[in-house]
Order: sequence, then C-alpha cells, then structure tokens
Amino acid sequence: MWDGIIIGGGLAGLIAGIRASERGKHVLIISEGAGSLTYSSGALNFGDVVQLRSRENHPYALIEENVIQAGMDYFQKLFPDYQGVCGRTQTLFTPLGSPRTANIIPSGQNAAVLQDAKRIVLMAPEGMKDFFSKIIKTNLKICYPQCIVDIYPFRISAFEAWHAIGKPVTGMEYARYWQSGPGIAELKRVLAGVTITCSETVVLFPGLATAFSEPLKEVLSETPFPVIEMTSFPPSAGGHNLYNALKQKFKSLGGELLMGTGVQRIELQEKECRKAIVSSKGRPTAFAAHSFILATGGILGGGIEVTAEAAQETLLGLPLYVPAEWTKSEFLGEQPYAHTGIEADSDLRPVDPGTKEVLFENLRVAGRMLAHWDPWTDNCGGGVSLTSGWYAGEKL
Amino acid sequence: MSFEQDKAEILDACIKCSACTAMCPVAAVNPLFPGPKILGPDAERFRLEGLQIGTTLSYYCSKCKTCEITCPSGVKITEMITRAQEDAKMSEGGKTLQFSIRDYLFGRAEYLGKLATVLPGLTNVLLKAPLFRQILEQTLGICSEAPLPAYHTKFETAEKDRKSKKQVVYFPGCFVTYNDPLTGQAIVKVLKHNGYEVIVPPFHCCGTPLEGNGYLREAQETAKKNLALMEPYMRAGIPLITGCTSCGLALREYPGLAESASELQAYDLFEFLWELQERNEFRKDFKDIQVSLGYHSSCHLKAQGIGTPSVRLLRLIPGVQVTDLDQGCCGLSGSYGFKKEKYHTAMQIGKPLFNRVRQGAANSEFQSVITECGGCQVQIRHGSGIETVHPVWVLMQAYGFFQLLSSGRHASSELV
Ligand SMILES: Cc1cc2nc3c(=O)[nH]c(=O)nc-3n(C[C@H](O)[C@H](O)[C@H](O)COP(=O)(O)OP(=O)(O)OC[C@H]3O[C@@H](n4cnc5c(N)ncnc54)[C@H](O)[C@@H]3O)c2cc1C
Ligand code: SF4
Ligand code: SF4
Repeated sequence: MWDGIIIGGGLAGLIAGIRASERGKHVLIISEGAGSLTYSSGALNFGDVVQLRSRENHPYALIEENVIQAGMDYFQKLFPDYQGVCGRTQTLFTPLGSPRTANIIPSGQNAAVLQDAKRIVLMAPEGMKDFFSKIIKTNLKICYPQCIVDIYPFRISAFEAWHAIGKPVTGMEYARYWQSGPGIAELKRVLAGVTITCSETVVLFPGLATAFSEPLKEVLSETPFPVIEMTSFPPSAGGHNLYNALKQKFKSLGGELLMGTGVQRIELQEKECRKAIVSSKGRPTAFAAHSFILATGGILGGGIEVTAEAAQETLLGLPLYVPAEWTKSEFLGEQPYAHTGIEADSDLRPVDPGTKEVLFENLRVAGRMLAHWDPWTDNCGGGVSLTSGWYAGEKL
Repeated sequence: MSFEQDKAEILDACIKCSACTAMCPVAAVNPLFPGPKILGPDAERFRLEGLQIGTTLSYYCSKCKTCEITCPSGVKITEMITRAQEDAKMSEGGKTLQFSIRDYLFGRAEYLGKLATVLPGLTNVLLKAPLFRQILEQTLGICSEAPLPAYHTKFETAEKDRKSKKQVVYFPGCFVTYNDPLTGQAIVKVLKHNGYEVIVPPFHCCGTPLEGNGYLREAQETAKKNLALMEPYMRAGIPLITGCTSCGLALREYPGLAESASELQAYDLFEFLWELQERNEFRKDFKDIQVSLGYHSSCHLKAQGIGTPSVRLLRLIPGVQVTDLDQGCCGLSGSYGFKKEKYHTAMQIGKPLFNRVRQGAANSEFQSVITECGGCQVQIRHGSGIETVHPVWVLMQAYGFFQLLSSGRHASSELV
C-alpha cells in the first residue's frame, strides 16, 4: 500500500512526487510517456502572477500567492543550475535567434550579457538540423544593432560519417555528444579556435546544454568570453536534461517510477479512489494507495481525449469545464479550447463544474489537467505545472 | 505478441519530434541505422499498407527500449520494430548464411545448455580458450571478446506429490538451469521459507531466445509445450513464478497463444513476494545486514509494466540501501552483444551504465550490483568489473541462509 500514487510523470507529477517523498511519503509514479518537457526548452514561464491571480478561475487563483513563491523557491533549491526571481523575467534565445523571456531558466541560457556586447560569434555546427544561421544572424542584427555578428562554422570528427551520407544531426544529438568524455575535450578545442577581435565578445552556441553537467560548466567557466546556449526546436536537450534530473531526484528520495505503462482505470469506493489498475503485460496489476494525484497532462499529455463529439477525461470520466466556443480564427491568438480541464477547489480536489461539489476526497489534480488557463497566451505553462504539482505533493 | 489495439491511433500519438532517435544508442554510433522514429512509427505507416522498408537495418536494433523510455508520447516503438522484424523473417529478409546458422544456435539456448552441461568443466575451459573463441568468431560470428557465460551442473527439476495447500510452480529458465543453478536453489529456498511447496516440472526454454533471433513460429511451439506441462497446475489455480525477467515477459505473453492459457498466473518472483507482503504473509525474520547495492532494472522487467518490486521489497530489510542506477540498457540484449558485428555497439550501449556502476563502487555508494536478468549480470560484470548478482541473494543473506554477498557466492555448501 502506497501513501500516494501519482498518475502522469511530467513536470507536475514529478515535482509532486519529489515533494511528497521528501516529506517521507511512500510514492509511486505511473507514467505512460516521458511528458512534454522534452518538447520544451527547459525554461519555465510563470506569467504575470498578480494579474492571473485576479482571474476568478485561473489555477493560480485557487492557491495562495505565497504557495506560488514557495514552489518557485523550492525548484531553485532543488536545482541550483536554474535561476530566477518571482515577478521578474530573464532573457534567453529562441532557436531563431530572437530574444524571449522566462522566469526560471538554466543559467547557461541567460542572455543578459548581450546588452553590453559589441560582437556576437554565432557557432554553426556542421549539418545541424533545424538550425538556420542566416535567419539567426538577421534577427541578432535587428535586436542588437550595436553588435557585429560573425558566423563561426565548425565540424567535428565524431559526426563525419553523418556528413558523408548527408544525414543531419539534431541539436539534441550534438548536446549529448558534448556531454560525453570525448565531447568535453572536443568542445574545449572548438572554443579555443574562436578568436577574440574585441573584448566585448559573446559566443552564442546552439545544440549545447550544460545544466546538470559539472565538467561542461567547468569548460565554459574557463573561456575568455561568455558562452550563451540557445534553445532548440523539439526535441530539446534542455528540457530532456531537466526531465532526467527530476526523475533522478525522485528516485534518489526512494520513489518508484513505473514508466511506459499507463493506468487503465481507477477502482473507486464511494468518494474515494482505492487502486490504480495498470495495464501490465498479459495481466493488469492493481496498486493501492491512500491518496492519488492526477497529472496526466491534458489534451497533449493524453489525460483528456477529444473526439468530434466531446472532450473526455480518460481515467475517471471526471466532468470537464469545456468552453462554449472551441476555437478562434486567429491562429496564434487566444484559443478557448486550451481552457478545457478539470475544475478544482483550493485543495486541488476535483469539483463538479456546476454544483462545485468535491467529487473525490483523496484525489488532487495538477498541471495541464486543470481548467481555465492557456499556457501560450497566459505564458505560464511551466509555472502552473510546477506550483500545482508542488502544492499537490505538499498536501498528499 | 499482442498488438490488438487500434494501430492507427497508436501511430497518431507520434508527433515526429525525433527525441527517440536522438537518444538511441545504436543510432549514436552507426549513422546508417535509421533510428527508432523511422523504423518505428514512420515505417509503420508503410507497413499498414503492406510495404516493408528498412528490414535489414532493423536487425541492428538491440531492443534496448531507450527510445520508448524517451518518447514523450509513450509510442510503443520497439514493439513496432520487433513485429516488423518478425514479418520480415516470415518472408526471409537479408541475413548471411553464417549469421543465420549462428542465430539458429543462439535461438536454441536450451539445446546449447543441454550439450554444454554434459561436461560443464570442459565447456568452460573451451569457452575461456582464446583459440577456441577465435574459431567461434571465424566460423560462427560470435565475438571473441564477448562475455559468454560459464556453464554449471544442470539445475534439477522436482515434481513432488502435492500435499501442502500453499504451492507454486517455479520456472527456472535456461540461464538458471544451465549457467546459474545456485540462484535457482536460492529462489526455491526463499519460497519454501515463506511457506510454499515448490514444484518444478521439466519445462523447456521460454521461447525468448528464439523470438530474439527471429524464430517466432518455433518460439510459439516451445511455449505450447510448456503450457501443456503447466496445464494441471493452471487448472488447480497454482501460480507460476520465475526469477528471470526475460522468461517472465514471455510467460506473461503466453495467454495470447492458447485458450486455456488465459488462466495462467505468471509472476515475477519479487512481484509475487510483494503480493505476500501486501497480504501480510511475507516473512520478515531478517537479520540486520549492512549492504549497499546498486540496482539495474532490465529492459524485459521494464516491459512487464510491474515496476521494480525487488527494490520495494529489499528496502524493507533493515540495513539494506538500494540505489536505482537508472541508466537504461546494459547492451547485451539476450545474444545481441555476443555477435561479432554487434559486440562493440553493445558495449557502447552499456557504457553509461558501466560508468555509473564504476563510479558508484569507487566512491563507496554501493558494494555490488543486483539485477534480476542473468544476461545483464554477465554484461555488467564484463563491462564494469563489479560483482553483479540476482536480488534473491540479498534475501538469502537477510534470512541468514547465506554469508557474505560477494565472496561466498559460489559456496554451495552454505545453502540448503
Ligand atoms: C512544445 C512545447 C513548448 C513549451 N515551452 C514552454 C516554455 O518555454 N515555458 C514554459 O513555462 N512552458 C512551456 N511548455 C509548457 C510546459 O512544458 C507544460 O505546461 C508542462 O510541462 C505540462 O506538464 P504536465 O506535467 O501537466 O503534463 P505532461 O508533461 O504532458 O505530462 C503528462 C504525463 O501523463 C502521462 N499520462 C497520460 N495519461 C496517462 C495514463 N492514463 N496513465 C499513465 N500516464 C499517463 C503522459 O504520458 C505524460 O507523461 C511547453 C510545452 C510544449 C508542448
Ligand atoms: S530499442 Fe534501442 S536500439 Fe532499438 S531503436 Fe530503440 S533505442 Fe534504438
Ligand atoms: S519520441 Fe515518440 S513522438 Fe517523438 S518521434 Fe519518437 S516516437 Fe514520435
């Protein structure tokens, strides 16, 4: 019998698991896939917390403001490689070389030094997939008119066989190589080749993610110029490394992670969840727990299934808030469907959208499963998942 | 292999992010290997239309499942590749004669075992002789550096008359039967200690080596023979237990083969013991032992979808520290790492794990490694030089049946 079972091992589920394990709880996380962190850059946006809290149903409005701050502090204490302050944003680069902001970012992505730069050297790894040096150069020139932008092409022997057959190398493959023993030596060599023509030179490096790697951080600390990592299109090494760090932290606290197999259904007894039934090979396995957390990632994560007729919560058939109007014509604007999700009380327990009655006493909902927010236009994808996950783990 | 879910729906789960290919250890060392995305969900679209692509290259997939663990969307990539290989096998796709003979032999672990254990001493001397290994490499394509496991006197089967109410059937599997009978005895001992009478019918190979080397039909025939042996126990509702995770995975898939098999209750040893624990029937008369262990979860355990019951259970023993190494595949994948054209890839696949093991042992984080899979044990010992055993030995030690986990490992006199 577990103290808690968490369904879904994305950002929300893992943070919940880490917090609950740290509090001495015996926790099992069951997750079908690795979750959306590998798609994302690894930078976490919290959005305008004060404004979002004033929106009646927004997940931030369900919990106290200090809980949001506490979740953010907690995360940075867990991972000192990540920096940020509540209410203040930091600059990092998109894969196309335009600046964007986020609240907590891996230190290596921090682009603040560019304000005072005179020259930017854009590293251009041979044959890198989804890397467009000319577009990036154009964008950099627009945003940093005081700077000269030089492109520095280089190739390394490790990928010669790839170049020979014209096979592109993803940023994640490059990042993985730099993390290896030979890669670290090679990175030193490559960076040593960059000449400094003016003292305010900053190097921009795509396909590199140094967070959680002491040897890599050391290499960069020894260069005569600051090196800024760029984020990449999916798959992203930054997001993947964060995912791995979360997973390892959870396991090191004694948590058990059952990956690659989904929860089929939940056995109920009146207003309590009792057992998670997992589709193990051949014969389902039942795992019993006192408490449950549903962090199955909404529409993208698989926790909500959308058909032509309706949207449905896949495990318990929990009633969903579904906006009357599903989409809007402006592609990148606010899309009402994103607000689809489960309504919850201040303890994150699911409630009936009509009567507001608590549906299950020992179930909490976290992350993208919650209703009334849009990670894109509210700019708070990581923030809501992190804080609601942390709070669910705190309450478990 | 059961694959009855809506195939198109599974395909749609893939959003083409390429994370799987970026993490695939085979693609990382061999650019010609198209990688999991292309061989899995991409080629699957063609296969649904009856078109086979990339079959020859697909044999380089080691089934390590790193891709599946990485996939954000939970796409069952390895399952798709395995099935494609089976389909290609049916239509006899591209292997040389040498490799065909070798794969024929590796598929028949049971016959190899029977042959080798006639005179296990002689077999082991030969397997260690460099000249003999060169000959094996030249003639059969079995890598001369690969850690072929040693053979022991065969594990004996025992079918007692059924007196006790609490009974289990034990499926030792080829590794225990021919290479590691002591672990088989330890498992029987632990089950007996928990009040169970243990029946061991003369089972055949579970079928996994056949399947892994592309002999699907033969694998199913062997499975049916085992099911026939299991029939009377199945009807009496007696569970079937194995300590080998590859056998365990195969046994869990038996119910897809014959109607009667749906009554088969196949358990991993520790999964079964954990159920006893949940029912308050597991014996915890433990001695206080001080051991720190690194745990490696085999790919075939992960594929069973039952979590890591041995870690859960061993953590109940006072003084036992278990660290989950969490480093993916050891690289051996049954007989993949024994093959000369794949040995180096296999070692490359296992590298992160070996490094983690060496690092943990060097800074005294743990003294030895435990993993349920016999193949992983051989490969981790080979790649890291650190003692690696089945987790049942920790229970043996805690119950006081056995002294010193690492040095006294083969002192059979201490057993029983
Ligand atoms: C492309 C992309 C870019 C992004 N960029 C940013 C960014 O720059 N900044 C930012 O702050 N946020 C960003 N986000 C948003 C942020 O990453 C997500 O909000 C957050 O990761 C969601 O976490 P989650 O845990 O709620 O869901 P998920 O990460 O989706 O996890 C849900 C998990 O549940 C599992 N699951 C589903 N059903 C079951 C079941 N029945 N049984 C078991 N398991 C199940 C799934 O397999 C999955 O692993 C981005 C998201 C995407 C997709
Ligand atoms: S199972 Fe392993 S070797 Fe095969 S495609 Fe997946 S990651 Fe690559
Ligand atoms: S990781 Fe999963 S979703 Fe991404 S390409 Fe591979 S199979 Fe498709």
